[in-house]
Amino acid sequence: MSLIQVNDLYKIYQMGNTEVRALDGVSVTIEQNEYVSIMGPSGSGKSTLMNLLGCLDTPTSGEFFMDGINVATMGDDELAHIRNKKIGFVFQTFNLLPKSTSLRNVELPLIYNGEIKAHERRDMAIKALTRVNLGDRVSHKPNELSGGQRQRVAVARALVNNPAIILADEPTGNLDSKTGEEIMVLFDELHKQGNTIILVTHEEHIAAHASRVVRLLDGKIAVDEATNRGKK
Amino acid sequence: MKSFFWENLRIALSELWGHKTRSILTGTGIVIGIIAVSLMSTLINGVDGLFEESMKFLGRGNLYVEKWPWFGDEDWWTLRNRPRIELDMAEKIQERSQYAMVVAAERGRMANLSYKELSAENIYIHGVTANYPEVSTVDVEYGRFFTESEDRTGAQVVLLGSEVAKTLFPQGNPVDKMIFAGSKRFRVIGVLAEMGKFMGAFSNDTQVIIPLATFNKIFHGPWGRRSITVKVPEHLVEDAKEELRGVVRVLRGLKPEEKDNFAINQQNAFRQSYQGIKLAIGGTGMIITALSLLVGGIGIANIMFVSVKERTREIGVRKALGATRSQIQGQFLIEAMVITASGGLVGLIISTLISMAISKFLFPATMSFGVAFMAIALSAGVGLFAGLAPARKGAKLDPIEALRYE
Repeated sequence: MSLIQVNDLYKIYQMGNTEVRALDGVSVTIEQNEYVSIMGPSGSGKSTLMNLLGCLDTPTSGEFFMDGINVATMGDDELAHIRNKKIGFVFQTFNLLPKSTSLRNVELPLIYNGEIKAHERRDMAIKALTRVNLGDRVSHKPNELSGGQRQRVAVARALVNNPAIILADEPTGNLDSKTGEEIMVLFDELHKQGNTIILVTHEEHIAAHASRVVRLLDGKIAVDEATNRGKK
Repeated sequence: MKSFFWENLRIALSELWGHKTRSILTGTGIVIGIIAVSLMSTLINGVDGLFEESMKFLGRGNLYVEKWPWFGDEDWWTLRNRPRIELDMAEKIQERSQYAMVVAAERGRMANLSYKELSAENIYIHGVTANYPEVSTVDVEYGRFFTESEDRTGAQVVLLGSEVAKTLFPQGNPVDKMIFAGSKRFRVIGVLAEMGKFMGAFSNDTQVIIPLATFNKIFHGPWGRRSITVKVPEHLVEDAKEELRGVVRVLRGLKPEEKDNFAINQQNAFRQSYQGIKLAIGGTGMIITALSLLVGGIGIANIMFVSVKERTREIGVRKALGATRSQIQGQFLIEAMVITASGGLVGLIISTLISMAISKFLFPATMSFGVAFMAIALSAGVGLFAGLAPARKGAKLDPIEALRYE
């Protein structure tokens, strides 16, 4: 069974009298421990696809199985549970809670899990921060950290609940190229450790870190191929 | 769910701490509302206690035949022109009334007293019959009350109220000392136990009591209070009142078409008019309180809408990380309730202090546990009510749009 199986997915918005086909029949399968980048110009539907894969949105029609569960027809609260347990988000703008320490930020998904005791949460969050080499920054607030460190806190937050997929939306978009490269090295390591990573980007050299690239155009998959790295 | 409560409480506290001025301003509305509600209840309880305490001076089974009614809206001139109460009616009432158990008569006026170089001014001199202790709450602390024969012969004996005794005899026993009322000499035969004030104002301890016959002998003028107290069985007081009215009308020779030219007063009149006043004050208080809590609640709702708007992105992040609608809603509800409950607590502390001050300087008013509990519950309730709409708005946000919000 594939980790993600998407069959004939449509997302259609009604803008006044015109119909916008953000996704126009997309089918894609992603296996365990794949490292996929999704590319495409703006308006190609890559954000819509990412929102659907991240269970932030539901499709107009089509099937979407994650770990064998059909999430296409789920309600708000069920989707929230799926996001909490199966998905780790990394955003372009980090999206950390500014008034909370690194530790509190990383603990957040575990708090919404509702089944993990306070001391376990703390241990798990510290372990996740250590994995991104921020074991010594647990009690710092975001404004006391550099951009790269902030993004690493965000990565730790995405890792902490052992998600099925890490979904990164332009993770280097707000970083200088050197720091961006460091973050990409981190993703490469996480991939080697067995994580499944989906990367949304418009930069070729970032996409090149993945082993497979899916290119969208006008809501359809134009290209789905292995990268040089994947061919090796 | 328990862990979310603590988590939400923690978020709420840090959020409020982060906006101290805003939180204080928002909470002030609730503080004022809670002061109003708790102080109002405390004052009403205090006045109630005071009233019941005062009512003890007027026995439940006592009917007072007097010229002036205690309450009512009759024409002042009509009342003014009524004949004064003939105190010798007392004996006839005793003879004719079926219900009367004791009939006592009394007069009173103000006078100055002196003992050696000490003097007590504006003392209420109370001339009463020897059976007066049976219809009142006077209690002889030491010494004795006068006898019936002393009353009949007009003996110049006096009992001092506790305050008067303290003024004229700062130390030493007043019994058997001679004091002056004007030019008349009286022998002190007893001192009354402390009685406290009537309605918190008129002290019963600044009076002296002398036999009625003695009073009549010394003070001739028409002035002063005259009253006949008829003690009847408490449960028959209404029947007895009707009977008494008939008896007095006959004694006064009133024709059937003539109106009463006297009043029969009783504790109930006080009770009824007090209930009316209490209802009016309580009702007005309730409206003011409800309004101030409503205004406070609107302030909270307003600030919570602002808070939800400001934190749209935070809500998006929380939702992306798996927060459900009810968890987000809970977060903002608890935040609103924390503001109002802390406002309630502060209001309660302030009104406790105010009621302590009132107790000390005006009359007894203690905040009861019930009032305190109600105040806290009410303020949390206002928070729940005011926070509901903003919290729902936050909970319903679409995570994608919320994450995009700048």
